[in-house]
Amino acid sequence: MKFQVDQDAFADAVAWAARTLPTRPSIPVLGGILLTADDDGLVISSFDYEVSASATTAATIARGGRGLVSGRLLAEITRSLPSQPVDVELDGTRVVLRCGSTRFTLPTLPIEEYPTLPALPPRAGTVAADSFATAANQVAIAAGRDDTLPILTGVRIELDGEIVTLAATDRYRLAVRELRWQPARPDITAAALVPARTLGEVARSLTGGAQVEIFLSFDQPGGETLIGFAGRGTSGERQTTTRLIDGEYVKYRSLFPSETAARAHVATTPFIEAVKRVSLVAPRNVPVRLTFHRDQLLLEAGSGEEAQASEWLDATFDGEEELTIAFNPSYLLDGLGAVDSEIVHLDFTSPNKPAILRGGKDADQPMDDYRYLLMPVRLGG
Amino acid sequence: MSVFAEVVGQDAVTELLASVARRARENGDGLTHAWLFAGPPGCGRSIAARAFAAALHCRSPDGVGCGRCHECRTVLAGSHPDVVVVRPAGLSLGVAEARELVARAALAPTVSRWQVVIVEDADRLTEGAANVLLKAIEEPAPRTIWLLCVPSPHDLVPTIRSRCRLVTLRTPNPHAIAQVLIERDGIEPELATAAARAASGHIGRARRLATDAQARARRRAVLDAAAQLAGAPTLAESLRIAAELVDAATAEAGEETETRDAAEAAALREALGVEAGSGGRRPRGSAGAFRDLEARQKSRATRTQRDALDRILGDLAAFFRDVLVLQLSGTEDAVANVDVLSAIRASAGRSTRTDTLRRLEAIMECRAAIEANANPLIAFEAMAIALSDSGGRTSG
Ligand SMILES: [Zn+2]
Repeated sequence: MKFQVDQDAFADAVAWAARTLPTRPSIPVLGGILLTADDDGLVISSFDYEVSASATTAATIARGGRGLVSGRLLAEITRSLPSQPVDVELDGTRVVLRCGSTRFTLPTLPIEEYPTLPALPPRAGTVAADSFATAANQVAIAAGRDDTLPILTGVRIELDGEIVTLAATDRYRLAVRELRWQPARPDITAAALVPARTLGEVARSLTGGAQVEIFLSFDQPGGETLIGFAGRGTSGERQTTTRLIDGEYVKYRSLFPSETAARAHVATTPFIEAVKRVSLVAPRNVPVRLTFHRDQLLLEAGSGEEAQASEWLDATFDGEEELTIAFNPSYLLDGLGAVDSEIVHLDFTSPNKPAILRGGKDADQPMDDYRYLLMPVRLGG
Repeated sequence: MSVFAEVVGQDAVTELLASVARRARENGDGLTHAWLFAGPPGCGRSIAARAFAAALHCRSPDGVGCGRCHECRTVLAGSHPDVVVVRPAGLSLGVAEARELVARAALAPTVSRWQVVIVEDADRLTEGAANVLLKAIEEPAPRTIWLLCVPSPHDLVPTIRSRCRLVTLRTPNPHAIAQVLIERDGIEPELATAAARAASGHIGRARRLATDAQARARRRAVLDAAAQLAGAPTLAESLRIAAELVDAATAEAGEETETRDAAEAAALREALGVEAGSGGRRPRGSAGAFRDLEARQKSRATRTQRDALDRILGDLAAFFRDVLVLQLSGTEDAVANVDVLSAIRASAGRSTRTDTLRRLEAIMECRAAIEANANPLIAFEAMAIALSDSGGRTSG
């Protein structure tokens, strides 16, 4: 293996692949970054058993081949090199880097012990990079964090014709985002459950270009196993695969109430600030109680008789009579933050039924592309 | 060489596992989700579990578990993406580790049709950790196979045990062990036979005795101590012998810990690229990894010390078992420690079966005390006194 590559592009590609390196590699080879030089250029890859990452960078290949070196060390070295062409050569059991007058020698790790990197599954379609990153974040907040309920730690991605739906729930709230995309086949239908923390990070890291391609392992015996994403980073093609969580997902669509008894809309930013202020004085996760009047909203912390803090806010409410409903403040804040719009619309059925939060451009028009369903806290006597 | 060749003297088990793997390959599913590999320490239960995992992943057209294809090799090297091996380094496996494991087990396989999760020493699961695993084993991810390794099925809570298919491994016979030592490790037949016999069916121990002169010397010292204790020493002598045995265990554990810790630190340095040809450069974030390693090593040191004490107790027990064999059968064929035959003979002549049984019991009591965190020296002293009691009085 022998090639020449620009320092900037090299450092950027290595840094991108190094993000997913395990902090505590269970065996030494997993701390490695694999350099593959062939006719397609230079591919820099890492794999931690859950996520694989490959960055392709233009390079002048003098001799094809592969080398496995410590990822952290390579990332440190490439970052510190002067902005000049870097010559890289495999020499026996070492990889030698030369850049200007600097020379580094890295020992190689045993490549025969390195796990097989999963191949990118078949292409499913293309989605706008920015909206995908936004959608991933809007939904990932509602995913569970309890590892003993693994299914709930995922974001469900459903591909159905021209619509991609992302959904996540931890049983206390449910976030659903729909967006349009260009499917590879117009009649596509498939689903995948992606670990939430991975999805958010992957989506963010692929915003260097306009589009993100999605790949999915259809036609596997037993169901899909792997999802892949490809897009542009700051210096070349980036692709990554993530193992899916295996198992049946919650039938979440039936959680949305079929009727609405009352609606309200509130300016989002003042609402967020008021919830923060009111819940600040109460102990952690004491519910925040909302009482909707025709033109106003009363926020109180504490579910008992005596609230510890209260605040009035302008709001519009169309219910028959006043409605009092209580929420976990951090879950409410997550939803208010995620609607991503100036006005938040709230739909209610009753104080004991879930409420639905949606964004809206103006007071009359809630948008349906993002819905955040939030279970109320029962008001005790 | 087939991956099952590593599993010594368990023909019935390897046949079963190979046929299950063959059927699984043909049918695509119908594989039991949870397996319990039960067998005495050193019988090769984790090796059998790993061989089974390799056979399930093997891609060779010539048969399952070829040992040569990339899948087999990476499973055996511990780097296959669809095989997770958990080996408790400390005395127990706790809730935090169990949660991490359950999260991993929930994932779909990467390159294979299944993901295999191997828990070595599953008897070390804490109650909380067992509960966490129970949930995952009750409702396993559709393509995850659990292999739990334990000395006996009863070392696992019934709720988990009842959900597993049991694979029972027996103590491999000394001939099978000697065969492997000769053929695979290239040990002289005479040495191999003696080591296999002395190790009482513990494969790792036999290999150690066959390849490590120091280990042989340590064993011999313990057997000599047993002979001395059986020879009615004074109280002061008994206490001195007890102290020497504990010191020997401490020294052995210390050496082992030092060598292994250094090797691990070197491997971690290599993986993180510390000091690798770049003048002591430490990449960011590596300090945390080294702190983690040190914490793990510390918790393991306690376990290593306990294992060394346990080996000594095993050798002491082996001596008195041989004494009992002579007293019961009168034939020397079944004696394991042939190299100290005259001392065994002497002790058998000087004591009764009841004495010997009482002595074996004292050793088991000491083992239980150590397991329950007793001070090793006090436990060994109590045992030494019981062993040196020549049984003039009636025994209980
Ligand atoms: Zn194979």
